Amino acid sequence: MARIELCSLEKYFGAVRAVKNLSFTIEDGEFIVFVGPSGCGKTTTLRMIAGFEDPTSGEIRIDGRVVNDLEPRDRGLGMVFQSHALFPHKNVAQNIEFGLRMKSVPPEERVKRVREVAEMVRIGHLLEKMPSQCSGGESQRVALARTLVTNPSTFLLDEPLSSLDAKLRRELRAECDRLHETLKRTFIYVTHDQEEAMTLADRIVVMRAGEIVQIGSPMEIYSDPVNHFVADFFGSPSMNLVAGAIVQTNGSARFRSTSFDIVLPEHFKDVAPGSGTLGIRPEHVDVTLGGGGDIELPVRLVEPLGKDTLLYFEAGADRAFVAVTEGLGMAAIKVGERVALSLDRPRIHLFDDTGQRIKGAR
Amino acid sequence: MAMTKSKRRRITAIIRYAVLSVWAVIAFFPIYWIISTSFKLDTQWFAWPPYYFPSPPTLANYLNVWFGAEEYAQTQYAISSQKPLISLYNSMVIAATSTTLSVLLGSMIAYGVSRYRILSEVRMFQLLMLRMIPPIVVVAPLSLYYTAVGLIDTRFGLILVYFLTTLPYAVWMTKSFIDEVPLEVEQAAEILGASRWRTVFEIVLPLIRSGLVATFLFILILTWSEYLLALIITKTQVTTLPIELSKYQGSTEGRVYGRQAALAVGITVPLMIVGLIIRKHLARGFSFGMVRR
Repeated sequence: MARIELCSLEKYFGAVRAVKNLSFTIEDGEFIVFVGPSGCGKTTTLRMIAGFEDPTSGEIRIDGRVVNDLEPRDRGLGMVFQSHALFPHKNVAQNIEFGLRMKSVPPEERVKRVREVAEMVRIGHLLEKMPSQCSGGESQRVALARTLVTNPSTFLLDEPLSSLDAKLRRELRAECDRLHETLKRTFIYVTHDQEEAMTLADRIVVMRAGEIVQIGSPMEIYSDPVNHFVADFFGSPSMNLVAGAIVQTNGSARFRSTSFDIVLPEHFKDVAPGSGTLGIRPEHVDVTLGGGGDIELPVRLVEPLGKDTLLYFEAGADRAFVAVTEGLGMAAIKVGERVALSLDRPRIHLFDDTGQRIKGAR
Repeated sequence: MAMTKSKRRRITAIIRYAVLSVWAVIAFFPIYWIISTSFKLDTQWFAWPPYYFPSPPTLANYLNVWFGAEEYAQTQYAISSQKPLISLYNSMVIAATSTTLSVLLGSMIAYGVSRYRILSEVRMFQLLMLRMIPPIVVVAPLSLYYTAVGLIDTRFGLILVYFLTTLPYAVWMTKSFIDEVPLEVEQAAEILGASRWRTVFEIVLPLIRSGLVATFLFILILTWSEYLLALIITKTQVTTLPIELSKYQGSTEGRVYGRQAALAVGITVPLMIVGLIIRKHLARGFSFGMVRR
């Protein structure tokens, strides 16, 4: 059991306010992912939960008990570090055994548990090796095993996969997911990788500049971002965000930018005019080769990826306007060609000039 | 005609080795000369033309100077006291104790500086500056105080002053090794249930073992061969080997080169033995972390 409550948590490093008034509850057994750009305070928050940083003010409660003054070892947590942090002078078995030894588990029991856990993360063959002889992926599995063996109520994972290559990352991501399924423990995972957050989390906590920007399930975060920042951060390729202006003409709202002018869906009809940003995900942009779409843009770049093809259009900004089309059907489109696009109206997002989402009357 | 690249490279190599060989001869000749002299008979010490090799080699100098063996003292240079052995004992006790204390306490301070910043950078620099003070400046006042508190001419007095004067080195050297132990490794141990002391003894110390050994040898060499402080602070009761060595150049006794050489070799050998025992760690320790552990 581990229900972790963060109450008005603040952390200053000198004059820098790294975490600002954070309040939030992590339910027992939940897989929570803290995500955000570097310096957003996510790792600091995790380290405060672990006990490596003292909050400047605020409380951390684990199952109702305030743990601010408890040493890390007394909090019943397990942590996996970005650098893996294996003990270089101990072999894999000794590394895994360490936590059990600290808890004075008898030797026979230790050997048994080490073996079990090693099998669980598939490193049974590595037990005699030194950490320096293990590959990055193997080291991370050892680090996981070392934490698993102590049977913590909560797993804290600080960018555990960021030092690995893409393929290994996917593999170990699945491993984390599987462990969460089997162990049914609370997982708190910190990453700057939105894809990891989307695939792993029960709930995502998006942070920026020491504050929580949005909390929600991956689908909520993806399809219902509260502001420009969240909309831009999630999704690959990221959401098309076109700066322009909202105007009211003849009882309907329109969005005008340097490269197009479209009628906004019904629920935006009462939106106040002014400058703003239109957002639409690339998969909600359809290419209509026959013409007659909402907008027409010249192609800047065609990227056939096999399963999909990405089309980049010139939209009068640094960032291209992107459309995803299935298969390789569109791969033959020439650069410079003007192509008609239709936008999936209900999926259009609007943001005001402060970056906040304009919801409209839905 | 332009030289080919390989030819040029070869000439550079020849010049380089020639220069280095000459330098090696210059550097090693005195060492060779001392070792050679230590095995020479009295008549060969200042013979001209010089004897480059002792013929026949003799242990007389060693036996006489170290063990006071009278039968080898055929000449007026005979030394019949056994003082060097006592000095050897003094040196060993004083150097080993002060070095151990210095490394022990130094590494503890260094840990505090590295992990808890108990000393600011300015303080750390001041600590090093302390060591820059010429010993001659402090030695006279120190001897006055030592006389007053009865520390003059005692082993403890020398141990104390050596311990204090080498402490800055110990702190600086061990800190550079502790800095290299990733904080996350310590934190991993901590969250797995290890206490702070346990973490230090099971994780940090084993990881900086090579550095500690290197620091130990470095400070041992300093304390083993220290002369000035020992000269002023000790008088007759406690003498160390460097003081003993200087006594063999006294004008009344004449120049007893063979005995002196035997003594000098004897002073060096213990350090070499220590170095050999711990050589495995030295290469790693003295590379100061330029090589990944």
